[in-house]
Amino acid sequence: MTQVSMTVNGALCEVDVEDRRLLADVLREELGLTGTKLGCSHGVCGSCTVHVDGEPVRSCLRFAVQAEGCAIRTVEGLAGEDGELHPVQAAFWEAHGLQCGFCTPGFLMTAAKLAESGAPIDEDAARDLISGNICRCTGYSSIAQAVVAAARALQAADPAPAP
Amino acid sequence: MSGTEAVPGFARQRWVGQPLKRVEDPNMITGAARYVGDLALPGTLEAAFLRSPFPHALIRGIDVDAARSMPGVVAVLTAADVADTVPLTDLVDLEGAAKTPRSALAAAKVRYAGEPVAMVVAADRYLAEDALELIEVDWEPLPAVASIAQAVADGAPLLHEGVEGNCYYRAATAGAAADAAFDEAAHVVRRRLHIGRVSSSAMEARGILAAVDPTSDELTCWISSQAPFQQRYLLSLALGLPENRIRVVAPAVGGAFGPKDFVFPEDVCVAVAALRLRRPVRWIEDRYENLVAAPQAKEQDVELELAADAEGRLLAARARFTGDTGAYSYSAPGGFIDFGLAAQSLPGPYAIGEYAADIAGVLTNKAPIAPYRGVGFTASQTVREILLDELAREIGIDRMELRRRNMIGDAPQTTATGMTYDGGSYGAALDRVLELIGYDAFLEAQERAREEGRLLGIGVTPFVEMTSMGTRSHLQSGIHIFSHDNARVSIDLSGKLTVAVGTCSHGQGHHTAFAQVAADAFGVDPADVSVIDGDTGRTPWGMGTFASRSAVFGTGTILKAAGLVRDKLLQVASLLLEAPVEALECADGFVGIRGVPEAKIPFADLAGAAHFDPGVREALGDPTLTAEAFFDTDPTFSNGAIAVTVEVDPQTGKVTIDRIVAVEDCGTMLNPALVDGQLRGGVAQGVGVALLEESVYGDDGQPLATTYLDYLLPRSSELPAIEVAHLETPSPHTPAGVKGMAEGASIGTPGAVINAVFDAIAPHGTAIERLPVTTAAVWEALQRAEVVA
Repeated sequence: MTQVSMTVNGALCEVDVEDRRLLADVLREELGLTGTKLGCSHGVCGSCTVHVDGEPVRSCLRFAVQAEGCAIRTVEGLAGEDGELHPVQAAFWEAHGLQCGFCTPGFLMTAAKLAESGAPIDEDAARDLISGNICRCTGYSSIAQAVVAAARALQAADPAPAP
Repeated sequence: MSGTEAVPGFARQRWVGQPLKRVEDPNMITGAARYVGDLALPGTLEAAFLRSPFPHALIRGIDVDAARSMPGVVAVLTAADVADTVPLTDLVDLEGAAKTPRSALAAAKVRYAGEPVAMVVAADRYLAEDALELIEVDWEPLPAVASIAQAVADGAPLLHEGVEGNCYYRAATAGAAADAAFDEAAHVVRRRLHIGRVSSSAMEARGILAAVDPTSDELTCWISSQAPFQQRYLLSLALGLPENRIRVVAPAVGGAFGPKDFVFPEDVCVAVAALRLRRPVRWIEDRYENLVAAPQAKEQDVELELAADAEGRLLAARARFTGDTGAYSYSAPGGFIDFGLAAQSLPGPYAIGEYAADIAGVLTNKAPIAPYRGVGFTASQTVREILLDELAREIGIDRMELRRRNMIGDAPQTTATGMTYDGGSYGAALDRVLELIGYDAFLEAQERAREEGRLLGIGVTPFVEMTSMGTRSHLQSGIHIFSHDNARVSIDLSGKLTVAVGTCSHGQGHHTAFAQVAADAFGVDPADVSVIDGDTGRTPWGMGTFASRSAVFGTGTILKAAGLVRDKLLQVASLLLEAPVEALECADGFVGIRGVPEAKIPFADLAGAAHFDPGVREALGDPTLTAEAFFDTDPTFSNGAIAVTVEVDPQTGKVTIDRIVAVEDCGTMLNPALVDGQLRGGVAQGVGVALLEESVYGDDGQPLATTYLDYLLPRSSELPAIEVAHLETPSPHTPAGVKGMAEGASIGTPGAVINAVFDAIAPHGTAIERLPVTTAAVWEALQRAEVVA
């Protein structure tokens, strides 16, 4: 067992974990953050995507002990404390960007990073940028539209693009 | 039971037809939705399965002692421990069909790599998988058959005693009239096509959590499910427990697409463990298990011949559909549904003349087959559409003109295979898709591109989709899909509605759509309707959600029950308002006298009166504001057309899809945004079947596509924006004219994509005889053509 300290959605967490336990399993089982999904457990489908120190990563390909000292953000940390939806969440809802919802947390975390980057995104670019995540239900059209809408909403709220 | 007039007030349709945002989404976009793997009960144990590494082998012995004594392990089950369960087998009653039952854990013999042999139950999944390593099995490998050709060859190893030649079913329709038509035909075209074996590959794989309530002795199984009542029945049969001791609940379900209708051997093992250990036990399938041991789908060999007169009018079709069912036909409809529905659905939107078909089901040492989106239809529609293009080329007429010459009219009619269509927009759908894709302009662009050495192609495929397999489709055309559906509608003392249905949403958005239906039936806001599904303890009996049936059976049952409750509500109001029922209307949560705005009573007060007002109770006798209703219907059929344009790289064979247009007519749409979503999702899965996806097996029967690096699902980078359009031909059979949909795009897209590819490479020949049409296959076809040239 190794003690791991990490910040998860803004709160400091200390957990004792076996070295072999995956970050995804620790988030889901030890911390009860079951919003992060395991779709393939071999790093292809992207359902388990979370942010580690601001970067989207596959939590099925990392051990929890590798997250020592890191800041983790999961789908549960997207909405504001008052429950106000993050622009990507609002855009996915508005655009019917989900059906069964199982891949959605991974898409949201990938899309949040893109949208928050401040770079302008058109639908073709969005399609390219989300191609590392697999959705079996939607055919991706509505997801691409949602990513574009979320990026626009964030730019409208904060017109100065991030450096 | 036809026409909107059956439910007074429904015709207004304030909410039905609106693209409302889904009520399901807030939980799903915040991570709050609970799938079976997210459910935790105190003390839950985790299961893992030891699976056969051999496609075909005898089990001479199994030693689980070391695994049983490993710290953290609570139980290890082998075949001996589940010997008192009843083997799973198909529920199809067909003369001459052999049964291939399977026990929950293989006892003496395994028949596919991935077949479960033992189950470890441990404190967590990591420990359970550790313990699997400690199990010793004494295997005696046997020769395996990995294809239909191998399975039916003389002297082939047999999978099951009593199944001669590994063929468990064979049937033929009389063919004399078809043969005569072929003799007289001006043109005959033939095609063999192997439909590839695919995985439905829902992003959430299979899973079950089973627990026994110690006070009631009830076994509850939370299953990633699309049909809880079917599963309760199948579990009851397998476990020998009466149904009233079993509850099946579908929590949020991460996609299904067909195979999650049934009970799997793993489910039986988990239920047995929960019953024996009196502790919650959970099995969450991982993707490796899902790709080798979950049901696979669609694989069959098809041979089709079309006979036509000099103008291209079809005179007859002769077909042979041979299904590769894998090691067992054990899902409720077994393997029959794939090759049986393929034969049944061949005509689609065409008058095909005389028809003869041979069908057969063959067993191989591969994972068993189960229905997957477009079951059976995909195979026959794809081959038919490929062959129609070839016929047009042979005759020298435009491919769409050939289709028009053979297309049926819009009126209800019966096909050569006994399916009675309820009318549609067959020709209009083709015209609309050609207009949207710009067919004529594309052909000109294609000519110019060819001069530059670029290979562009277009494929267009009209389709018909059977969308309400019910009692009468069973009786009319012998399709062995059962149907029995109910809904319960009630108004509570708060004046709000609860609608409980026997369908089971697993991504479709039924909670949104059915709230719209009920809202219109009562003149309330959808936010005032609570929809319950997916729980045998909370809803009336229903078959669940598969085969595009839920719009028809969900809406039908809800509107029938709603009509009964609404009648009662109006009677209560009639007493209190002292006005005849005919003068009353429901609107905005009130019942009032039409034309007298101040004379109205809120639903809550009417419910209060129905419950507590002795005068109302005395007058009505039965004032209850709850009703349950059964609904069945004549079959309904949606239709549409798919158009695809591609460019093929002549150097590499890589296919790039430039545009996809899907036109759909599913009658009245409950929520067009949901329809669009189903349409686009079906297109994407159809592209996978056409170009990418295959559950590959080696000649030795070993599964080779065991990760998503080898099993290729369509990604956003491989698909263009999918353009959609709708026509609306209401069904004459159903309330509100609903037909249902969701599989049409999966049925039509593979043929459209392949025809586009073949059109692109047509100058180089189209001798590709198997799906998926991979980059390598296209490249080889181009190479062969160059060699020949």
